[in-house]
Amino acid sequence: MGSRTVLICDDAIFMRTMVGDILQAAGFEIIGEAETGVQAVERYLQLRPDLVTMDIVMPDMGGIDAVREITKQDPAARILMCSAMGQQALVVEAIQAGAKDFVVKPFQPSRVLEAVNRVLAAA
Amino acid sequence: MDLARYAELFRTESREHLAEIETALLALERDGDPAHIAVLFRSTHTIKGMAASMGYRAVEHLSHGLETLLDALRSGARTVDADVIALLFDGTDALAQSVNDAVEGRGHVPSSPGLALLERLSSAVDTTAATARSSLPDPTAARHGTASPPNGPQTAATPVATPVAVQVATLPDPMLAPALLPQDLGSLELSDSMVAAPAAMAERLIEIRLSPDAALKGVRALMVLGRLEALGTVRSMNPAQHTWNDDSFDGTFTIALGTSSDDAIIEAAVRAAGDVARVTVRQPAAGQRERETLRHVRIDLRRLDTLLDLVGELVITRDRLVRTTDTLSDCSVDRAAGARRETDSAVTARALADRAQAERVLGTVVHDTARLISALQEEVLRTRMVPVGQVFDRFPRLVRDVARDLGKDLMFVTEGRDIELDRSLLDAIGDPIVHLLRNAIDHGIELPDARRRAGKPPKGRLILRATRDRAAVVVQVEDDGGGIDRDAVLARAQAQGLVDADVTSLSDDGLLRILARSGFSTAASVTSVSGRGVGIDVVANRVRALGGALELATVTGRGSMFTLRLPVTLAIVRALLVNIGGETYALPASHVIEALEYDPATLLTLRGQETVTLRDDVIPLLRMRSRFGLAQDCDEGTHVVMVEAAGRHTALQVDALIGQQDVVVKPYDAVYGAETLFAGATILGDGTPALIVDVGSLT
Repeated sequence: MGSRTVLICDDAIFMRTMVGDILQAAGFEIIGEAETGVQAVERYLQLRPDLVTMDIVMPDMGGIDAVREITKQDPAARILMCSAMGQQALVVEAIQAGAKDFVVKPFQPSRVLEAVNRVLAAA
Repeated sequence: MDLARYAELFRTESREHLAEIETALLALERDGDPAHIAVLFRSTHTIKGMAASMGYRAVEHLSHGLETLLDALRSGARTVDADVIALLFDGTDALAQSVNDAVEGRGHVPSSPGLALLERLSSAVDTTAATARSSLPDPTAARHGTASPPNGPQTAATPVATPVAVQVATLPDPMLAPALLPQDLGSLELSDSMVAAPAAMAERLIEIRLSPDAALKGVRALMVLGRLEALGTVRSMNPAQHTWNDDSFDGTFTIALGTSSDDAIIEAAVRAAGDVARVTVRQPAAGQRERETLRHVRIDLRRLDTLLDLVGELVITRDRLVRTTDTLSDCSVDRAAGARRETDSAVTARALADRAQAERVLGTVVHDTARLISALQEEVLRTRMVPVGQVFDRFPRLVRDVARDLGKDLMFVTEGRDIELDRSLLDAIGDPIVHLLRNAIDHGIELPDARRRAGKPPKGRLILRATRDRAAVVVQVEDDGGGIDRDAVLARAQAQGLVDADVTSLSDDGLLRILARSGFSTAASVTSVSGRGVGIDVVANRVRALGGALELATVTGRGSMFTLRLPVTLAIVRALLVNIGGETYALPASHVIEALEYDPATLLTLRGQETVTLRDDVIPLLRMRSRFGLAQDCDEGTHVVMVEAAGRHTALQVDALIGQQDVVVKPYDAVYGAETLFAGATILGDGTPALIVDVGSLT
């Protein structure tokens, strides 16, 4: 069956690397990255990953709109929202737009993995 | 004035209005016609008035909250949409619950779900329009020295902080007086319950505590809520949902849910949302909504008058009987003999003539008595009869809720609501019908997309029909769904060893027999709605226990129809009495086709089953003596009774036919673990007992 594939969406290289390291260490395959909301949607449709991690604040179509667009095209999309502290209302909106779960920065590897597992189990 | 004695009447009246409210809500949801709003408003207003007079504050508050919302809808200040309708449904449920609580002495303080609902109601109303109206008059409140809120109902309906502090004026409501005065009621009754919760739905109170270090608790709580909404209908949340995003929210909250899922499933769903430290699922303390079967029936006053007349005539006949037998004993032979000793033949002749006359009169009086008793019996039985509509009325709501939960789109039709059925039978068939309806919605009718792909209209059709048939009432649940998958059932049955491997197809009857075995299920996934797949075994058992029969007709791709055949009355059954092994047994006439003799020359054994030819048909023969395990010492003769069960004919061989008569059915408890061959017992005219055979279970 192969390992699970992930698409990482965040405008900061630093964040993408950190999330990528956590997931790779747990056996996931990072098949793509995106820096903007538009790229996130494009790459999702191209690559059809098992899982997406999405930052809330991104240039050129924010994370929430990207979630909405991806979910519209693929209702079964498994999206994990990554947010900073104090963005509760935005995370609520993201969940309502279709994200399955969320993690808060700074990331603790165990929490990220727990959340990832929940997202993969939910569908 | 002692209000307590009006409590039951209050409950009865309120239930009628609640039933009207539910019907109007369903109609409003369907066609959006504003005329329904007027009906809703009136009924709610009436309940409010009655509650106020009874001093039932909680009921009054709640109905007032609903009334305010309805008023806004009536005036156009708020438009009718799906949210409002959902809220009104919830409000109606809460109102029904509070009526019960009030009558049973539990509702002095509005419950916390009740308050949450009130909040939802008030926030749904446009404030600018509501303040223009004042539905709660203040004069008496002012007299009692309570502060009267200047903008009327708006603040009165949101007593979140001090629930009991709101003083409500007891209004001299003109709509109230006639309802509470029993003097001029046109019919004598306390009607039975017509508001009922769907059978397997239960109320649960779910307490959740999130991990103390969970981030964004408000979001997490929302995800928990989302999971629970998938399992049923959320009644209320505490604390209110909008407080979950506050900084002060500590991650502890309670959700009241109406659901048919197991506690274990609920718990798992909550935990799957993540960051849940603790979850407990329990039944709410303040009284569950139970379906009460009040032991009352509605009786038309005219029927009571007829009964009274009959009894009056019986009394007269009784007196005639007494006089006649007295006369007879006066005319006894001894007296006549005594007169003969007096050698007065005229006296003797007169005595004998008097006696003959008395005997003739006796004969007439006995006939009259018999006739009157039959008439009386029939009239009393008729008072037990109730139109099935009373039970059918609670189904539209159930069907709507179940269909919505499952994403099915369908039209629900009921036919034959006026067909009458014995009261106790009616109570008993409610659950089986609910089972069949849920099955049809869950497994029968396909999702709209699947239907479109199959070339069917996306809206399914579900029909609940009652008709009369000879001595039976027939109830049918028919759907135009995908039919039962015969091949899947056959494969499964073969895998379980229930059916020979060489059988290639199942008849409808064979299909039903397999499905009716307990524990059998082909449902690939267990849905929360109908539980373990089919549940037909429960229906079959219940119907059989009532002396009825269950039939199935199904066409793959086109739909299925379950037919329940029920005796019209449980109490008295016309039966054919037969002798088997020296004992008398009763065969219910509804199953008997004919009694005749067979020609032994036509006796054959086909595939291990004895058969005889009767009227050109080859019919399986069942030797009743051996079936009952009785001695087969002497010649059995050739008497058979041809019976029909589940669409098949069987010839029952009996020792002798005795005759037809009505028998009073008495319940019969079989020995535990024994075969249930009998549906009841009766006492015959000579005092001997006879068992009533359950024809359907013989083969």
